[in-house]
Amino acid sequence: MHSSTLRTAPIHLTRTLQHPSFTTARSLRPCIVAKWLQSRRLTTASPRTQEVIPLRKHLKDEAKRKKAEVKRDGNVLSTKQTSDSRLDKWELTVGIEIHAELNTACKLFSSAPAEVSVGDDGGSANSRVAAFDAALPGTQPQFQIATLLPALRAAIALECEVQRKSGWDRKHYFHWDQPNGYQITQYYRPFAKDGSLTLGAFDGVPAEDLNGAESITIGIKQIQMEQDTAKTMNVGSSTYHVDLNRAGMPLIEVITLPHIHSPQTAAAVVRKIQAVLKGVDACVTGMELGGLRADVNVSVRQRGTSGTGSSYSGVSGLGQRTEIKNLSSFKAVEDAIVAERDRQISVLEAGGVIEGETRGWTLGATETTRLRGKEGEVDYRYMPDADLPPLVIGSDLVKHLKTTMPMLPDAVEQDLEEWHGLSRKDAKTLNEQDNGDRVEFFERTASFLLAEVGTFKSEVSTGKERRKTGKLVGNWVLHELGGLLATHQRSWDDVRVTADELKDILVCLHKNQITARAAKQILAELVQRQPAPKGPYWPSMDTRPSVEQLIDAGNLRLRPLSEHEYEKLAKQIMDASPEMVKAVREKGQKGKVMWFVGQMVRQGEEGTVEPEKAKVVIERLMDG
Amino acid sequence: MAIVLEIFFVSLSRSDLPGHSGGRDRDLTSASAQHFISKVKNVMLSARFCWRNASRSCQVYRKSHSISQQLNAIVHNGRPDPGKSADASGFLSGKTVAVKDNIVTKDLPTTAASKILTDYIPPFDATVVKLLQQHGAIISAKTNLDEFGMGSHSQHSHAGAVLSPFSKNGVPLSPGGSSGGSAVSVATGQCWAALGTDTGGSVRLPAAYTGIVGFKPSYGLLSRWGVIQYANSLDTVGILARSVADTKHLYGCINAYDQQDPTSLSATVRERLGRKGADAKRLRIGVPLEYNIDELSPVVRATYLRTLNALQNAGHTLQPVSLPTTQPALSAYYVLAPAEASSNLAKYDGIRYGYRTPGSDASAKNNLPLYASTRGEGFGEEVQRRILLGAYTLSSEAIDNYFIQAQKVRRLVQRDFDSVFAQQHPLLERQAEIPSDEGGVDVLLTPTAPTLPPTIKEVKQQSPVESYMNDVFTVPASLAGLPAISVPVRIIGREGDGLEETDVHDVGMQLIGQFGDDELVLQAAEVVVQ
Repeated sequence: MHSSTLRTAPIHLTRTLQHPSFTTARSLRPCIVAKWLQSRRLTTASPRTQEVIPLRKHLKDEAKRKKAEVKRDGNVLSTKQTSDSRLDKWELTVGIEIHAELNTACKLFSSAPAEVSVGDDGGSANSRVAAFDAALPGTQPQFQIATLLPALRAAIALECEVQRKSGWDRKHYFHWDQPNGYQITQYYRPFAKDGSLTLGAFDGVPAEDLNGAESITIGIKQIQMEQDTAKTMNVGSSTYHVDLNRAGMPLIEVITLPHIHSPQTAAAVVRKIQAVLKGVDACVTGMELGGLRADVNVSVRQRGTSGTGSSYSGVSGLGQRTEIKNLSSFKAVEDAIVAERDRQISVLEAGGVIEGETRGWTLGATETTRLRGKEGEVDYRYMPDADLPPLVIGSDLVKHLKTTMPMLPDAVEQDLEEWHGLSRKDAKTLNEQDNGDRVEFFERTASFLLAEVGTFKSEVSTGKERRKTGKLVGNWVLHELGGLLATHQRSWDDVRVTADELKDILVCLHKNQITARAAKQILAELVQRQPAPKGPYWPSMDTRPSVEQLIDAGNLRLRPLSEHEYEKLAKQIMDASPEMVKAVREKGQKGKVMWFVGQMVRQGEEGTVEPEKAKVVIERLMDG
Repeated sequence: MAIVLEIFFVSLSRSDLPGHSGGRDRDLTSASAQHFISKVKNVMLSARFCWRNASRSCQVYRKSHSISQQLNAIVHNGRPDPGKSADASGFLSGKTVAVKDNIVTKDLPTTAASKILTDYIPPFDATVVKLLQQHGAIISAKTNLDEFGMGSHSQHSHAGAVLSPFSKNGVPLSPGGSSGGSAVSVATGQCWAALGTDTGGSVRLPAAYTGIVGFKPSYGLLSRWGVIQYANSLDTVGILARSVADTKHLYGCINAYDQQDPTSLSATVRERLGRKGADAKRLRIGVPLEYNIDELSPVVRATYLRTLNALQNAGHTLQPVSLPTTQPALSAYYVLAPAEASSNLAKYDGIRYGYRTPGSDASAKNNLPLYASTRGEGFGEEVQRRILLGAYTLSSEAIDNYFIQAQKVRRLVQRDFDSVFAQQHPLLERQAEIPSDEGGVDVLLTPTAPTLPPTIKEVKQQSPVESYMNDVFTVPASLAGLPAISVPVRIIGREGDGLEETDVHDVGMQLIGQFGDDELVLQAAEVVVQ
């Protein structure tokens, strides 16, 4: 059983759910349409696992593929070389259409509740369906104005011009995931136009694309609002189950201009658009969870020529393009473009002609496959939806949203880099994880820590202190805490350690009251303990110990050794390992010094040896 | 299909656009127009008019239940439940109202006379049905119609053709369509009044053909929530009743804003509609020259002229007006309505409700597209014809020549009307070139149909295009969303020479008002009936 969003499977459609053994697994919510659908045996039960499996499978497949790639490394190298020489001759051009589910409480044209995000119980199939979503005769769309807000935030974040007046068109095609026989969209009169997206090396744009510049800018042609389709599940060879819960969910489609010239940049664009949409709270779920899907338009032309003279939205001189639909991971975007680029170049070099067609891509494949040619293209017969008045957006609303916009990811990362002293790479990692929760945790810990250890002598020294503590906190939040969560296979939601606790640990570390080793031990201890009970009362001390208590209980407080004691310990270890001493002294293997430091920390009593001091002592003894 | 469109569609040129109309196009009609004006004047000057009390003949036809079954006006009988329809204080308390079967009802199957909706029982009531019930009305029956409202004679129904109670040479006449079942139910006294739907004349035409009143209010006044779409930019709920007073009474109960219908006019817009204290004592009545077509039958023309004359004698003013886009309007209608129909009927795939073909419907073996079997078997011939026509006119190769052009014609039709009415269109920006009050008219009076109803035999011999011609007088008001009413005017004296006793003895006269001027149209209707 797998879930499918492709519209191409040429299968025998049997009436959904006429299977006699079918029973609903969950009780339906008191929704009139759900009841009605149920009374007509038109509901499906969709256990959660169905939705989870594809992701896991996907990750597994990815891992497998990577392994295989490493194995035939030699081959990869040689093919890379040939393709590189071909790329000197041929230039790739890519435009992307990204569909993202908006973060709203209800559907686009009905008050049925929007799909519950992952983690929550999604509810049973066909339980969040209004009469219009099931396309019952005599029903009409009712535009839900609240869905406009996240859409507008997306448009503002992508620097689009919000249109005062936009409209709704019907796009017709028959498929069982489309109850009305058409999708309501804004293809001809979108609510936002002419935006742009700026990307740099940190976003994954390769140096060749940057061409010496700090960043490149990709034009956004338009953003439109539209309805999502129903979910269909293949049951056996000839039966599909249709779940209308997703039908009519609000989507935005972001269409870029064909300004992209490498597969890596294409993936970077998708990743960045996702980050921006999440950052401004326009969307909740990311690509890996099916909240985002991309179609890519790919063409190649000989460098220095104008291709077949094709053009798109003012960008001309392009080769004939093909469209690859329904890519649902960043990797798929990149790989599909690589495969399609190489295919097109091969066809052209063999004297062939590229057909304007729609192609598909499955994960792990080496080639795109033809879905349908131009002659098989659906004529969508776009027409205005006469039931829906034009959408009029006041400039005051746009202005208000602009002033209340959350910080964009780029700004957050820049802030982390310049204000808190993190590397851009760490800033990006921190920002992209856990829906911004981790950045918030970082900022709180960092400000608590600075408040306690900062001297605030002058502006300059404060800045230095802030960047120093920032770096320390960043390291601990990302690597130490991150490592512990990975070890315990826990998510950030279950981190248990509070910003206050981490601050306490780092204060002790900063003041040299504990060693880094002890600090890590305390953190690990806290991660494993039950979280403090939430409530109006101060958590009692015996449910969750404080950092101080843990230090005392573990006898972890640093009791500095005297110079003499350091030397005694060092000599003891050096005497026991003459080979190592020889390696340092005679072979000049300075790195081995750290081995001695490690031994000192280990053999010394807990919380007594500071690595920095130990190193100084060892080095001195080695020299002497 | 291409042939139909070639014959049918009057293509637009620049000269048809405002500012370019002038010489040529008007000259074509000027001869007949002059002739028509002189005739109107003659009648106006002619001798006094004998007003015979046009008593409704419907009592005569109030026959037994079995006869109404023979006429096939009803597809489902209501379940009158006296306990339930309790509210004796309601404005419609105890009154029976039949509802056209393309308006959904929770308690009764709703099929729109289509096989594709076989046994469909909707899970909700249409807003107009709810309002009727709230006012104490009893939904007595669901009435027969042309499948999905597509037809002018109520002959294209999966439940079988509707027959008029009137006949000629023993052959039943056409009851008109598409609300033929509602009209026959009212005319034969099966119910006090009925709801129909009017997309291009579907309430007015059957009212005219069965000698009753049929009212199509302004677009957006009566809720369409629960009205099965045919062409949703034109669809309007309408009322069929035996008198203007009953029509008004029912209209007052269901005329309300409905937030479930996105095209329902809001309370603030409603306040701006019409004129305060509309007065039908001294009407300025427009007589559109373009409605004097060759196809106008002598009996209709005679009754029309007599009616005009009588109105003038009663103190009203007559004023010849020109609506040059009347003919292209019909062509535009038969492009727009099928286009919208092809979209609105795309939802019937047999998956969630209604009829479904036995066996697979997406078989690559048969080399048929998805749902081809279900839709091929579930839709009748006329519905299929219009879906195909609409799918073609929306296709990328044809949309510019048909759908877009028809939209332009539609705007011209609206402008035509705006230029003749004294009252400003309440939803349009005020324009400078609006005629002064003296120049405009309050209502337009036209025949509802060019002829008396044909027999169903004659209907069968008509080509689709010929039957579309029937709607030439009703379509313009639909395209402009204007209120329009058809009222019966008794045929008297020599006008009715050759009419059999069993034949219909009324001619439908249509009054059209400015958008939102529904009250005045109803008042004027009372004047005409008197």
